[in-house]
Amino acid sequence: MTTDASSFDQLDVLVRRVSGVAMLYPAGSVIATVLSATLDAVAHRVPAAPLVHIEQRADGVRVTARIGIGAAESSSDVSGRVHDAIAAHLEGGNPPVVQIVVIVASVWLNG
Amino acid sequence: MTERTPANRRFFAFDVDSTEQEQAGLNGHTIEQLSDYLDRERMPADPGIDDSPDCEIALRGLERLRRAQRSLLERDLERESRRDDSWVSPILNNISLEAHAGREIPLTHPSPIARLVVTEGAVRGMLRETGDRMQNVFVGRCVLVGDVSVPGAPISIRVDVTVFPGENIPRLADQLRDAMYATLSKYTELVVVAIDITVSDLHSLPDASAHEQEK
Repeated sequence: MTTDASSFDQLDVLVRRVSGVAMLYPAGSVIATVLSATLDAVAHRVPAAPLVHIEQRADGVRVTARIGIGAAESSSDVSGRVHDAIAAHLEGGNPPVVQIVVIVASVWLNG
Repeated sequence: MTERTPANRRFFAFDVDSTEQEQAGLNGHTIEQLSDYLDRERMPADPGIDDSPDCEIALRGLERLRRAQRSLLERDLERESRRDDSWVSPILNNISLEAHAGREIPLTHPSPIARLVVTEGAVRGMLRETGDRMQNVFVGRCVLVGDVSVPGAPISIRVDVTVFPGENIPRLADQLRDAMYATLSKYTELVVVAIDITVSDLHSLPDASAHEQEK
């Protein structure tokens, strides 16, 4: 089964829905993110670029999600669920997913 | 697993100036710009700030610092003593330096394609918030010492704090250490062999009568 673009487009929504995820940050390069955000701000538009980063490699796809989590659950539990949700969503696709990176970039102790 | 600091190694002084010096700037912003953003109540929304975890960590630190400043100011006013904000500046610098993502700290997962990490900046932010939420103490600097990127490698935490009036310092240090161990145990898989706390600043309220004598 070939993975179509819409499967990747749905990843932002999918990750945001994972229990314990408080925030989804852009996972692309900082320079590209700042540039994109600045252009979005100047144009007063909602950012269009997906936050979950997809990288096509020769051997398959690498997916990166950068999240903030709430205080209720551990980083391991929440990031593990994010991984599992992405893996299940893209399971059996072609090209295959060779790596799923989940980065816990902030923890909201105060809710 | 998080282990306890041996009882005979409770305090350990360190030179905060000798630790890593990171380039200032948070996702292209300075701490002053973030402070202005707070002054404007985060309006108009700036995605370059709002979408950055580093900026978010720094903003939360700034908000806690402002609350502590307000609280001290109220006490100063009650005692009719002079305001002293000299303790704020170094903390402000450290909030900026420590909010950076820094190193990646691994989290385990059984899948061979999984790479799960929590950033060093997130951990420093948590530890700072854990301390700042306690009464009469404010975290000045927080450093993770050791190779945090290697699972199971023993590391230590060095923290320096400002303490405000009315606290038994040894008891406060014990409470802070316990709270930090609890936070680290819940949100990381680090093997922490020591949390070394240095009280680097004792902030006392100037005596109002002494102030009167100076007039």
